[in-house]
Amino acid sequence: MHHVVLERWSRGRSIIHRRDPRAKLATLLVFLVVLATAHHNLVWLSLALLAFLAAAVIAAGLPLTGALARAGIVLPFSAVFAAVSWLAGDPARAVALLLKSYLSALAVLVAVSTTPLPALIRGLEMTGAPRFLLMVAQFLYRYLFVISEEAQHMTKAAASRGATARSLAGSGSRFRAAAGALAVLFARSYGRAEDIHRAMLARGFEGSFRTLGALDFRRSDACFAALASLLLILTRVAIERAG
Amino acid sequence: MHIPDGFLATPVWATLDVAALPATGWIVRRAQREFEEARIPLLGVMGAFVFAAQMINFPVGIGTSGHLVGGALLAFTLGPAAASVVMAAILTIQALVFQDGGILALGPNVVNMAIAGVLAGYLPFYLWGGGRWRKLSIFAGGTLSVLVSAILALAELLISGVKMPGAVLGVSLALFVVSGLLEGGITLAVIQALESIQPGFIRKPAAGRSFALGAVSVGAVLLAAVGVLFASAAPDGIERLGRETGIAAHARTLLETPLSGYEVTFLHSSWAGRAAAGLAGLALIYIACLAIGRAVARHRSG
Repeated sequence: MHHVVLERWSRGRSIIHRRDPRAKLATLLVFLVVLATAHHNLVWLSLALLAFLAAAVIAAGLPLTGALARAGIVLPFSAVFAAVSWLAGDPARAVALLLKSYLSALAVLVAVSTTPLPALIRGLEMTGAPRFLLMVAQFLYRYLFVISEEAQHMTKAAASRGATARSLAGSGSRFRAAAGALAVLFARSYGRAEDIHRAMLARGFEGSFRTLGALDFRRSDACFAALASLLLILTRVAIERAG
Repeated sequence: MHIPDGFLATPVWATLDVAALPATGWIVRRAQREFEEARIPLLGVMGAFVFAAQMINFPVGIGTSGHLVGGALLAFTLGPAAASVVMAAILTIQALVFQDGGILALGPNVVNMAIAGVLAGYLPFYLWGGGRWRKLSIFAGGTLSVLVSAILALAELLISGVKMPGAVLGVSLALFVVSGLLEGGITLAVIQALESIQPGFIRKPAAGRSFALGAVSVGAVLLAAVGVLFASAAPDGIERLGRETGIAAHARTLLETPLSGYEVTFLHSSWAGRAAAGLAGLALIYIACLAIGRAVARHRSG
C-alpha cells in the first residue's frame, strides 16, 4: 500500500530527513507558489524544478524511479482535464495542467516521504494551524490501517459467502447487503473509538498529545529553507529573463 | 473530486485559502463546543471509517459500482460541525499522504467538500428531518452534499479558465447528478441499517439547530446554484466575465496597488509582483490564522 511505503521512506537518516519539518514545509510552500504562479517558459522551468526534486530524492536516499512513479498518481485525473482543454483549443493549458499537477504532487511526495507524519503534523501545529483539526487528522491516520483492515475482512467474508456471485441475488438485495455491512463497520468503529477513549483516559490523557523530544529549529534548518527558497526564486527569474 | 495543485488560477486558490482559514477555525470551535476535547479519538476513528468505507462497493446497474463519500452520513450522526472537521482532516491526510488533491488547493477543497458539501447535505435534514419527510430529507441530503461540492469544484475550474466544450460540461453535470443520487441512496440505506442496529446513532435534527449554520448551509446551496448558472452561461471563465463587466480590471488594480511601489523600485517585472503578492497573501493567511488561534485560546481560557 502507498502509505506503508511512505512510512518506510520517511524513517531515513539523510540530510533531508534530518531537517526540521517547518523548514521543509516553508520550502514546499515556496516551491508550490513559484510553480503555481508561473506562466512563461513553463517547460524549461518544469525541467529545472524536476531536476531539483530529483536531486532531493537522491540526496534523501530514496529510489528515484519509485518516487517518480508514485507522484504519477495525479496524472489520470490531470490527463482527463488536459485532454478536454486540448480539444477546446488550448494546448498550452493542457501542458501546463499536466506539468504543474505532476510537479506539485512530486514536491509534496518528497516532503512527506522525508518526514514522518507525526513530526510533519507537529510542525504544522507550531505554525498556528488549528490543533483540534490536526489531532483529528493524526488519529485518523493512526487508525486508517486498523479500520481499513476490518473493512477488508468484511468484504472477504462476504465474498466467501457468495456475495459476489451475481446470479444468486438481485442488485437490490446486494445494495442492501452492502449498506448493512457499512452500518456494521460504522457501529464497530464507533465502539472502538469509545474503547480507545476510555483506554486513553485511564492512561491520563487530558486533551493533548505529549511527545518525547521537542522539535528544534537549528541554524542549519534556517539555512536550508533560505537557500532552497532563494534557489527556486532565482531559477525562475533566470528562466523568465531568458525567455 | 479533489482539485490538484496547478489547476486553479492564483486569485482563485489564494482567495479560497484565505476564506477557508477563518471558516475552518469557526467550524473547529463549534465542534469543540459540542465534543469536548477528550473525544478527539471518536472524530479521528470516524474519519478512518469514511476512508475504509470506500472499500465496500455498492452495485449500480450493470457491472459498475459506487461507494460512499460520507459527508452527509457523518453530518447526520456526528452533527454538522464535527462532520466538517472530520472531512477537513480527511482532505488534509489525502493531500499529504496520498497526493489526492493539492496543498495550495487544500483551501478550495475544504470549502467545497468539508464546509459547503457537509452543510448543504445537512440542510434538508435540518429543515424536515424530524417529520413526515425524514427519509426523503436524508436522501436529498446525501444527493445535495455531493452535487454542491462537485458543482463548486467545476465552477472554480471554469473561473480559473479551464475551457470545457458545452458537451463535456453537460456530460459532467449529468455524471454529478447520477453520483449525487447514488450518494443519497447509499446514505439512506446505511442510515436505515444503522437504525435497525442501534437507533441512538442518528442525531435529532434539533440538536444542531443554530441560525449561523443554517445561514451558511443555505449560502452553500445558493452558491452552487449560481455556479451552475455561471457554468452554463459563461464557459470561457472569468476572462469573459471580466471583459464584460470590467470587474477583473478593477480587482487587479486593487490587488496590485499595495505592491506596485516595490515592483517599480527594484523588481521591474510583473511576475515578480505576482509572486510577491502570492507570498504576501500567504503571510496574511498565516497572520490571520495566528490571530484566530490566539482569539480562540483567549476565549476558551477566559
